[in-house]
Amino acid sequence: MMDDGRGRDGLVPDGSTSDPDPFAPELVPNDAAGDQAQHLDDETVNKTGTTTIGISTEDGVVIATDKRASLGGRFVSNKQVQKVEQIHPTAALTLVGSVGGAQSLIRTLRSETSLYGTRRGDDLSIDALATFAGNVMRGGPFLHTHPILGGVDEDGSHVYSIDGAGGVLEDDYVVTGSGTQLAYGAIEGEYDPELSIEEAVTLAARGVHAATERDTGSGNGIYVAKVTADGVDIEDYDDVAELL
Amino acid sequence: MQGSQQQQAYDRGITIFSPDGRLYQVEYAREAVKRGTAAVGVRTQDGVVLVADRRTRSPLVEASSVEKLHEVDDHLGIASAGHVADARQLVDLARRRAQMEWLRYDQPLGVEALTKEITDHIQQYTQTGGARPFGVALLVAGIEDGEPRLFETDPSGTPYEWSAVAVGGGRETIQEYLEDHYGESLTLDDGIGLALEALASASEGDLDPHGVEIATVDVEHEDFDTLDPDTVAEIVTEHGLAEGGEDE
Repeated sequence: MMDDGRGRDGLVPDGSTSDPDPFAPELVPNDAAGDQAQHLDDETVNKTGTTTIGISTEDGVVIATDKRASLGGRFVSNKQVQKVEQIHPTAALTLVGSVGGAQSLIRTLRSETSLYGTRRGDDLSIDALATFAGNVMRGGPFLHTHPILGGVDEDGSHVYSIDGAGGVLEDDYVVTGSGTQLAYGAIEGEYDPELSIEEAVTLAARGVHAATERDTGSGNGIYVAKVTADGVDIEDYDDVAELL
Repeated sequence: MQGSQQQQAYDRGITIFSPDGRLYQVEYAREAVKRGTAAVGVRTQDGVVLVADRRTRSPLVEASSVEKLHEVDDHLGIASAGHVADARQLVDLARRRAQMEWLRYDQPLGVEALTKEITDHIQQYTQTGGARPFGVALLVAGIEDGEPRLFETDPSGTPYEWSAVAVGGGRETIQEYLEDHYGESLTLDDGIGLALEALASASEGDLDPHGVEIATVDVEHEDFDTLDPDTVAEIVTEHGLAEGGEDE
């Protein structure tokens, strides 16, 4: 049969055509356990807690995150989580909240980006990617995550916060996760659109450092992604202080 | 007896190849396109021109009810030749896909991507039991990343990109005229003139000023613009293509 019921439209028996769902990802990951996750015990679901920071500069985007995963906010379940992942030739996304939801979102965005690029011979713009991510967050199953999307395209550098209800907000710098207010406090007033990438790395590290010191959900070092027109470069450090 | 029945099987059933590898129903659909009045597309540096012959079979038909040029989105338009009813189905698909691009990615749909959405759909009707191919060829015109683009779709579902192209009745004559007179440096107005002259070349050099439709999508405004009938008649007359001198 030519229609597997997964998006691409085909003929339906009465000869009319069905439209694919514009909001649904073309390929649905095989883990759509979805809302069941809501009922899972807090003590057994890995959460990142997390502080993730995105800063936009003229030369590119800097994204920094801590490395801690926790159960119920009281037990450190993993001390080396990479919470920023490349999802597009020139964009990266952070993992915030439910680890499963965030990983599922990353798989979905990667496959959509890849299909789009192969079919059209051109990469999704960051704005289009943010819109699509918002649709995925909005359409359910709800992923219980609040990522930052940072990327570079023909229009320059962009950072977006994408909330659990599908809200997509662009800003010069964005923080999400349990350490949000601590990191904002450290960054606020220090941002300048003319920061170099390296200066932005230091500023983001200061934010992660503040949260590491005072937020129980954040800690165990730092991951830093530098996103430029040339691609995504991700490094990690066991001690945030190395970058201050 | 048996032999002729077998022949009918691949002559009529569209999912079946003939022994020499042809799909007769698709070829018959191309014939249906030739029976339609022509549509011409010309890509210029300033935008794309679509011109369609919409001569009516009776002076009592409301000319505006003959649909040959269709707006798809602000920056996209389609001209059709062949079965109007089939064209309408494809145009509606095109409009839905254009809106879906806004819903999904919040961006305008590219001309190439739209053409391939349409041709993928047409192709399904050449491979599905019980379906009939679309008896229509389309010209898909628009602006993509600031560049004018012009594509053709045919009943087999193959997409082609062109600088200038004709579909429908008199295609060969019109295409020859375009090949002889097309240049990369045409302005949008030049493109309208060339498309009209090419169309006229298939009807002894003149046109019914009220039997022609013109639309443009220009790079500056990225806007599909259908010229009103009086302006069209004026342009046809200006180019000395109005049949029998002054009309009416």
